Amino acid sequence: MRIVIAEDSVLLREGIARVLTEEGFEVAAQVGDADELQRAVKRTKPDVAIVDVRMPPTQTDEGARAAEEIRAQHPDVGVLVLSQIVEARRALKLFSERPEGFGYLLKDRVLQIDEFVESVRRVGRGGTAIDPEVVAQLVGRRAAEGPLDELTPREREVLGLMAEGRSNKAICDKLFLSPKTVETHVNSIFGKLNLPQAPDDHRRVLAVLTFLRA
Amino acid sequence: MTRAVRIGLLVLGAGFGVVAYRAQINGLGTTVLHVPGPSGTHTVGPFTTSGRSFAVVAVGIAFIAAGAIAWSTRYRNRIAPLMIATGFLWLARQLRYSHNSALFTLFFLFGDLAYAMAGHVALAYPSGRVRDKWELWLVRAGYTSVLLFNFLILLFYDGNVRLHQFDPSKRRSFLLFWANDAVALKIQEIFVAFFYGLLASLFIALIVRRFIQATPRARRLLAPLLLAVAVAALRSVWECIFTFVDRPPSIAYNELFWWQIFGFIAFLIAIVDGLLRARLAHAGVGDLVLELERTPQHRLGETLSRALRDRTLEIAFWVPNRGEYVDAFGRTIVLPTDGIRAVTKLDSDGEPVAALIHDPSLLEDPTLVGAAAAAARLSLENARLHAETRAQLAQVQESRARIVTAADEERRRIERDIHDGAQQRLVALGLQLRSAQRTAGAADDPQLRKLLEGTIAELQVAVDELRELARGVHPAILTEDGLCAALEALATRSPFPIALDVEDERLPEPVEATAYFVACEALANVGKHSSASNVTVEAHRHNGVLTVEIDDDGVGGASAQNGSGLRGLADRVEALGGRLVIDSPDGGGTRIVAEIPCAS
Repeated sequence: MRIVIAEDSVLLREGIARVLTEEGFEVAAQVGDADELQRAVKRTKPDVAIVDVRMPPTQTDEGARAAEEIRAQHPDVGVLVLSQIVEARRALKLFSERPEGFGYLLKDRVLQIDEFVESVRRVGRGGTAIDPEVVAQLVGRRAAEGPLDELTPREREVLGLMAEGRSNKAICDKLFLSPKTVETHVNSIFGKLNLPQAPDDHRRVLAVLTFLRA
Repeated sequence: MTRAVRIGLLVLGAGFGVVAYRAQINGLGTTVLHVPGPSGTHTVGPFTTSGRSFAVVAVGIAFIAAGAIAWSTRYRNRIAPLMIATGFLWLARQLRYSHNSALFTLFFLFGDLAYAMAGHVALAYPSGRVRDKWELWLVRAGYTSVLLFNFLILLFYDGNVRLHQFDPSKRRSFLLFWANDAVALKIQEIFVAFFYGLLASLFIALIVRRFIQATPRARRLLAPLLLAVAVAALRSVWECIFTFVDRPPSIAYNELFWWQIFGFIAFLIAIVDGLLRARLAHAGVGDLVLELERTPQHRLGETLSRALRDRTLEIAFWVPNRGEYVDAFGRTIVLPTDGIRAVTKLDSDGEPVAALIHDPSLLEDPTLVGAAAAAARLSLENARLHAETRAQLAQVQESRARIVTAADEERRRIERDIHDGAQQRLVALGLQLRSAQRTAGAADDPQLRKLLEGTIAELQVAVDELRELARGVHPAILTEDGLCAALEALATRSPFPIALDVEDERLPEPVEATAYFVACEALANVGKHSSASNVTVEAHRHNGVLTVEIDDDGVGGASAQNGSGLRGLADRVEALGGRLVIDSPDGGGTRIVAEIPCAS
């Protein structure tokens, strides 16, 4: 997979590049600001652009805006936004319309190399990677009412992990459940959320959207 | 001028009046003459009547009396002597009708000065000085022309024709140089046209101009006077016209005469009225002393304004440490220098205390403002201290707000530094440790690998703690997305459910930050002490005030006294000009309301 990294801290940028290279990714470009990022994406056509939210010159939300532009202009490029803080509200603003090929993670998730690499791969394949922190905030907020009311606590947990973008197998590992049990939960969730019959991948996305917008 | 002198003047005036009366009656005569002429006999006269002569004399004496009053009150300037002189000249003028050649010559020559001087009085009222070169020119032209023309007439007048305003009796001029009555009469006509026509019209024009240019206060004082003067002068213009044009029978000479008399009487009444008003103003200063005791500081200006009869009067108080004048509310005042408003500065021991900004017409009576200021000095000194205190309070208030803003700015900077500095470095460090771990894995050193794993886990904790620290210092979401987003984030992290009702709009940063920290502290207290089950946070803007209300149904008993956190918040809210109300009866839940003024 071809990767472009936009991060103004050189130390961190190179650290991420090294990790990804060691994991077999091709780091096509490393840039330090949003303008360079735009040019690099246009030039190298990467599978994933990893973008820091705060970048020069204003250190506010250049990265987020650059991410939106890339998604609009290059729909086939996955975008993984890294941030020092993650907020559910921000997350919804960034991708509740179209979670495919998008990720939003706390910056220090890169230290959990395996999970981080998996997230990059997922985004590159058109999947989703939402920070567990965001999911926790959303789950907390949705305790009261909404279409998720009918889900059992266990099903809600499974849906949260789905929203983070995890596969059934990953969910099995995480919750120490058998694949069959997880599958039962997933189907039950699809049923309760009234999702139409469709290929599983697509239904998962729909389930996540329901979760995000609830 | 002592009372004796005044009475003496009036007695002298009365004596002069008797002489003048007799001179008119005997000189002009009251009998009607039947003169035979080519077209038959026609009637001439009477040239005066006892009533008219009396009225003329009364006007002269009234001038003297008004002058005496003026002298005894505030107008210790040229107006008073001018008025007295006018009165005597006026009476003296009547002697020109005498058949005695010496009296005729002398008073024909000087008698008309009375009119010129009456005009001078009107133009010089109330200050005693004419105001500009036009008025000065007119006064000079008046004096010069009456002397010059009458002198010329006397050079030629032989006594065989009837002069205007005279009876047909023959009079002899002592100054006769070349007897030619036609020339004398022609000169008199020119004089009438010039003095009664041209100069009187210019006089009316200057009076009207003066009225238009007067400040409102001066206009109120001058209006009756100027009206009377204009009426008298208009009569003079008619005099001129009827010298050259046959008078229509509908306008009797008698009516014109009384017009003049009433014009002058009105003029004098107006002057005396002005004097009485001035006296009342001084009396008002006396009342001022009593009234000031009952006047609150901020109404001092109104009281002074009433006492001095100047609605536009303002007081400016001197604030030494700011080196500027302020109003009663501590707002800066720049003293006018344009001349449209006058300024009277008041000192105490050489130190400025206050300044009165007022109508320039008050300066015509310099003792008046001084007397009022003296009466008000103590109150002014008090009010000045009051205004100074207010000004200092305003300064302190501004500086409190600045301190809060600066502190917020500093917190924001610290938050940014944590994220972009320390946190970033720790993550980068963690990545390097991961590389080291990988190398250790390759070197098959499980102990080192494990050690590194633990280190990274610790590092992760440090990063999390730093993030929490930064959030507590100043949440980034507050800066970036505003109060509503920040409160939502706060609510989602809260261990207990919070019902939010917050308008999603951006407000000035200090307002957002203050509202946020109020909610934060209040919610922290709820978590710590109240064991509440229902908590609501509301924030609404109404009429430029943001109201943040945090309600819970817990145990209550919170106060700004025992919780230093709430005290600090109250300070913060007050620094922005707002207030914090804590309503927390024991066992009755807690309601904390912050009202913060916000412009946008």
